[in-house]
Amino acid sequence: MTALALRQDGQGTETVPGPRRRLLGLVVALVVLVVLLVLSVMIGSTAIAPSVVWDALFRSSADIDQFAIRDFRLPRTIVGLVVGVALGLSGALIQALTRNPLADPGVLGVHAGASFAVTVAVGVLGVRDAQGYMWFAFAGALIVTLLVLALGSTRQGSSPVFMVLAGVCVGAVLGGAREALQLTSPDAFDAMRYWNAGSIVGRPLEVVWPVLPFFAVALILAFAVSGPLNALALGDELAVAQGVRLVRTRVLAVIALTLLAGGATAIAGPIGFVGLMVPHVARWIVGPHQRWIFAYSVLLAPSLLLVSDILGRIVMRPGEIPVGVVTAFVGAPVLVALVRRKKASGL
Amino acid sequence: MSTHIPRVDFGRRVLVLRHRRIAVRLQWRSVVVCAVLAVAVAGTAVLALMTGSYALDPGQVLSALTGRETGIVHDIVVEWRLPRVAAAVMFGAALGVSGAVFQSLLRNPLADPGIIGFSQGSYTGALIVILVVNGTYAQLVGGALLGGMATAVAVYVLAYRRGVQGFRLIVVGIGVSAMLASLNTWLILKADLDQAMSAAAWGAGSLNGVSWDQVVIGGACVAVLLLPAGMLSRPLRQMELGDDAAASHGVRVSPARLGLILVGVALTATVTAASGPIAFISLVAPQIARRLARTAGITLAPAALVGALLCLASDYLAQHVAPTPLPVGVITVVLGGGYLGYLLFTEARRRL
Amino acid sequence: MSNISLTRRGAALAAALMSASLVLTACGGAGDGTGVKAAEAPGVKAAETRSVKAENGTIEVPVNPRRVVTIGNTNLPFIDLGGKPVGVTEASDSELGVLPAEQKAVYEAAEIIGSNGGEVDLEKLAGLKPDLILVQFHSSDWDKVGKRLEAIAPTVLWGLDTEWKAFADAIGEAGNVTDALSRQKTEFKDKVAKIQATYGKIIDGTSFVDVSRGDWSDPGTFYIADIGCSEIARDDLGLDLPEAAEGKDPLAYESLPFEQIGELSKYDVITYPVDAQGRPTAPFAPVVETNTWKALPAVSSGRALGVFCPGNNSYGPVIRYLDSLGSALATLPSQK
Repeated sequence: MTALALRQDGQGTETVPGPRRRLLGLVVALVVLVVLLVLSVMIGSTAIAPSVVWDALFRSSADIDQFAIRDFRLPRTIVGLVVGVALGLSGALIQALTRNPLADPGVLGVHAGASFAVTVAVGVLGVRDAQGYMWFAFAGALIVTLLVLALGSTRQGSSPVFMVLAGVCVGAVLGGAREALQLTSPDAFDAMRYWNAGSIVGRPLEVVWPVLPFFAVALILAFAVSGPLNALALGDELAVAQGVRLVRTRVLAVIALTLLAGGATAIAGPIGFVGLMVPHVARWIVGPHQRWIFAYSVLLAPSLLLVSDILGRIVMRPGEIPVGVVTAFVGAPVLVALVRRKKASGL
Repeated sequence: MSTHIPRVDFGRRVLVLRHRRIAVRLQWRSVVVCAVLAVAVAGTAVLALMTGSYALDPGQVLSALTGRETGIVHDIVVEWRLPRVAAAVMFGAALGVSGAVFQSLLRNPLADPGIIGFSQGSYTGALIVILVVNGTYAQLVGGALLGGMATAVAVYVLAYRRGVQGFRLIVVGIGVSAMLASLNTWLILKADLDQAMSAAAWGAGSLNGVSWDQVVIGGACVAVLLLPAGMLSRPLRQMELGDDAAASHGVRVSPARLGLILVGVALTATVTAASGPIAFISLVAPQIARRLARTAGITLAPAALVGALLCLASDYLAQHVAPTPLPVGVITVVLGGGYLGYLLFTEARRRL
Repeated sequence: MSNISLTRRGAALAAALMSASLVLTACGGAGDGTGVKAAEAPGVKAAETRSVKAENGTIEVPVNPRRVVTIGNTNLPFIDLGGKPVGVTEASDSELGVLPAEQKAVYEAAEIIGSNGGEVDLEKLAGLKPDLILVQFHSSDWDKVGKRLEAIAPTVLWGLDTEWKAFADAIGEAGNVTDALSRQKTEFKDKVAKIQATYGKIIDGTSFVDVSRGDWSDPGTFYIADIGCSEIARDDLGLDLPEAAEGKDPLAYESLPFEQIGELSKYDVITYPVDAQGRPTAPFAPVVETNTWKALPAVSSGRALGVFCPGNNSYGPVIRYLDSLGSALATLPSQK
């Protein structure tokens, strides 16, 4: 994200749907996600008949097209699902944490840290194996986010505004250093221009499994702090009055969102806009209830990612557009339309 | 004029300059800070003129400056180093003012002309010229300006709904910038490595090869734009308190805001045309200036001086301290971001 | 509110100061313009010169240049022709990795004057006191620094789209290294003729495709290489290789997902990149490991050939490529 607003708007007078309608919406979102998962296996840049897809999954043989389904499309779909869930939830967390409807995990330096670490790996340490980047990216994202957290904290606790400013500063410094490295090392430049696009192609499932335990922990943490985060939305004082332990809530939320965003970035590279837009839309549907926002984000974010990925496969056949490029084109018009609605300031 | 000088004194030390019937009230701290900054700019400029990988002693530099050298020594000092220094000072100042205008206008410490998509748009324009059209430098400049302006207009129009509200402008700007950033990534991906690196060096903002032509034309534009910026600084101040408050003070909010946006974008556009988008000065210069001068709001003059110093010092580091010469924009980001981070850090500690 | 009036005045003051200083610098600029002409082209001495035609006009270069600086893509081709530049711009690690040892030593002996064309350290360049500068980079970089390069020494420019043989001829002529050039050209012609004579029957009527991956390629993607070495195989040897439509981007710019490896089954012979020892290059190894690759008819019948391509813009590396291609073709089963 190039910039973000620090303004903290009130929640406005939104019409909040009742629990039954929220649940119904959740079921609809789930159905949409399942349909997209199926489509993601069916549709690709090569035309493979549905019957072959069916055979590839349930009656496997050594057919070339079946390999394409089992070895490439299926893992890609699973990666899309995992990364999408992580991005959506981390976006919801950071927006709740900073009380800022325009924050995304990038503002805490997640992408900057990951990109910088990968550039160092390529340009200085000479790592040439794209899967070797992953752990650098993950470590970079974690370290930088913790650094931002430390910089943005005072002894009384961390102020969201300071955290965001610190994130922008650290992100800028690392971004500049990364650019310097890239411009002096053509190899690093070449590697990074692809990595920076953000893609879920060709990540074998073996690289995804080690990240899953981290995601599981983060998922539990996120839902555990969703209650206190609700109270936090009303302001620090009111939250404290309601018995919320500010520091603990914030630290747990930051740990969760760092694991999620860092892991997603490590797997797929920096994919913007999903973490920004999905929680936004979720809040617009269910109102200011963190647990519901989280639940919706978990279902809607992978849907957005998969739609973008499927589009990326078919619009430039036989080539593909990396999903990170497509998400912005799918997401931005929706965001602009949303903000132009009448009750725009209630975003 | 004097009717606008408030009667209330907040207890700061104030310097009053009187000349006949005109009195100027200046805060001592601001004056001192501006003076120190100006001295620092001048000192860095001298240093930059004296230093270079082609070894020249101060005597040679001086005689070249006074026109008593010919050949390569003359070229290096007068045709290469001098315009570069002049460009760094002027463009830095322009960026500082442009950032100050936007931050004040949008009441947001992280706003700069990039927020309405100008930077991404101009980069898109430049990329298309370099990678698709394979054009000349003049076409590149044209493409960048066209791209930036078109994007800014598009963002403004998309955000317009019975007037432009700051918050809506920011959101639309983020959306459009994100789209263009993706498009830029895609263009870079599709290009040949040499071309992509050339484009990226432009995209980082570089003063390498800045000539007198660019300095004179760019400088004239900056000078012309700084005047309306100075004149609009009172409405700007009033609007910081809110649109209604400003209107009640007799400010015509909509035209003033449009005028300020135009000035801010035009300043950035001038710099972009001459040197590529030099990042981050417009973002951090006003913030650093505000903290140095300890003023309540964003102020234009210290922001301009901080911008000039930041740009000049960054270019010095980029040329002479980095192992290979780098685009200045790479260093401004590191230097500006690092210093702002340090200021934030100390500010946070002070609040304890 | 006291700072309101302050800033406004301050801003106006700053604006006035800026404008004043601008007027001054503008005057300075106008005055200096005349000074340049008097000091034109200081590098050119009274020594003998000859004319070379280049993208930036007809250039007078020294008959026997001694201190040559190469910028952009002229570095390695000039060294390949036996030139010994005093200054170079940075080459990538992957290019240096496949350079013969003596050429690498020449490259390392030269002063690095910048990472890429537009960001060369002009003062360092001037300090090397070159008598010839050879440049190939983007025209927008030329617009930026071209005049200054010309002020330092005679400068010969080639655009990025120069065809490699013409490029080698021109570098040989400008840099006065034509002896090595003509030797290499003869060797190249001999190799081409020999491959055509020996393998002509196999080449005719066989469809080839060259696939590759770069260090940079996104995981899970590869591309069909139609530029670089396989362009030479197609144009000089007459191999039937896929080519991009006229006016379109090369096929190589399109990253294809691994699921399209299956589409390669329509070609008779597949060539893929290997290192000097004949192992698949590190970036390409993931392709070879996929089940789809292993199931391709060309692969299972021994008609997937590893070919070593150390470079494609001067004769030296191209000759090494032809050697590798020749010995790869020799392993083909005689009848498909």
